[in-house]
Amino acid sequence: MKDLKATVKSNERIAENIYSLTVTLPESAGEIHGGQFVNISTGDSSHLLRRPLGVAKVEGNDVTVCYQIKGSGTQNLATLSSGASVNILLPLGNGFNISGYKNVAVIGGGVGVFPLVATVREHCKNINFYTYVGFRNKSAVCLLDELEKSKTLTVVTDDGSYGKKGNAVEAFFADAANVKADAIIACGPPVMLKVLKTEMQKRNVKTPCLVSLEERMGCGLGACLVCVCKKHDGQNARVCKDGPVFDIDEVEL
Amino acid sequence: MAELQVEICGVKLKNPVIAASGTFGFGREYNEVYDISVLGGISTKGMTVEPRLGNPVPRIAEGKSVILNAVGLQNPSADYFIKNDLAFLKSKGIAIIANVAGKTLDDYGAICAKLDGLVDFVELNISCPNVKAGGMAFGIKPESIAEVTRVSKSSLKKTPLMVKLSPNVESIPLNAQAAQKGGADCISLINTLTGMAIDLEKRKPVIANNTGGVSGAGIKPVALRMVYEAAHSVDIPVIGMGGITSGTDALEFMLAGARAVQVGTANFTDVNAMPRIIAEMNAWLDSHGVKDINEIVNTLKLN
Repeated sequence: MKDLKATVKSNERIAENIYSLTVTLPESAGEIHGGQFVNISTGDSSHLLRRPLGVAKVEGNDVTVCYQIKGSGTQNLATLSSGASVNILLPLGNGFNISGYKNVAVIGGGVGVFPLVATVREHCKNINFYTYVGFRNKSAVCLLDELEKSKTLTVVTDDGSYGKKGNAVEAFFADAANVKADAIIACGPPVMLKVLKTEMQKRNVKTPCLVSLEERMGCGLGACLVCVCKKHDGQNARVCKDGPVFDIDEVEL
Repeated sequence: MAELQVEICGVKLKNPVIAASGTFGFGREYNEVYDISVLGGISTKGMTVEPRLGNPVPRIAEGKSVILNAVGLQNPSADYFIKNDLAFLKSKGIAIIANVAGKTLDDYGAICAKLDGLVDFVELNISCPNVKAGGMAFGIKPESIAEVTRVSKSSLKKTPLMVKLSPNVESIPLNAQAAQKGGADCISLINTLTGMAIDLEKRKPVIANNTGGVSGAGIKPVALRMVYEAAHSVDIPVIGMGGITSGTDALEFMLAGARAVQVGTANFTDVNAMPRIIAEMNAWLDSHGVKDINEIVNTLKLN
């Protein structure tokens, strides 16, 4: 893990309210895995918190993160142009550990597709990915070119304006009999992950399933205990340090 | 290189920069980024006799130049700390300040007894604004501050007692004097200011607890005033904090009367904030021909 001063290479709008930010690190930050995240300054010193953003792509010392404009911090981030300087702490969290699996189903919803993109890129040589991604509507669809490295890619939207109408979890279960995944990875809004868990229980699906969670964070390092989630054993886990990727059976959704 | 060593209640700190409670855990995570032995000390995550799970999430929000938090004293218990983290911190050769909270006077007595002789200071959190049973009830009025200080002090035969004062009170001078009267060896201030952040679209507070403690750069003027007031009301040492983000910020607190400072929220903005602050203090002292940092303590000249 390193705290580096990076230079913005590009910062482009890729869908409605969604931006893709690539920064060049001054030196290698070591291995970065899909599912890990960075803590990045917004470029405005009145924002004391950095923004935790999932890594979508790594190429040499170029790291790409994608983000949705949610508030003044991400709004400011979107104003950064190439050459601007940002502070970036990386890599953080644990990532999707799927080495050893052969056929992996990928379920993503909305901005939850970003960390899945990095994971598909990282493992597509050794793993067959069967990817199901859902977006609100056509204007929110993004990063499909990156996900084309999957063996199959199914895109759905809430209103049917792109691909079939529906959500990613439904699309996965509609196809599940054909896929025979030996693992599932998922990232998306809390309600999507909750539905996935409920459906898996209902259908008695025992396939190992890893989910990436999101929570408002403070330090990003595991020290401040701000971003906790509840585990089934009654204890709290730190989303930033113990996660953000958890076994779906381990955490309350 | 100016002399940065300070001495508080007989404890030598290699420099006056201490990690503030709740922002730094028990030091292990930041030690993955830099060797925390460069610090003057660490005030641990607030501990209680029993383990606590804390508040629901979200526990944090942001305002302009401030943040709000309501973690609610999640901690693994003082016993767990003694067994699992104390040796690590001791190996770092920094002052260890055990921050403690309780529901009852007995809790304070019990946790102080557990930690007596094991750490360099016990810091009483009598001002956690985020937990009903977090000691806040003790931290408002001078009478109850004196009482909880007295009970805690009676359990501490070897370790000096630091009482952390709340800013959400009527009188800092009276409360500082109450801590001194109760037997405090030193005081620290300020804890967070109670505040609220609202999500207009949801028409709800951002933080699950509704209110949270405000900290960060934006609170520095309030903190400086209160540290000045405290330092001029008591004879015991004062440790100042509230919005420190740079070496010059830290030196302003020392000018106002603080013998050491704590740094909290700045660690979130800049993971290397404290080593940087130490270097910046040194540079300022050198450039102003000050040989020993203790020379500037409490030298503020009022207009």
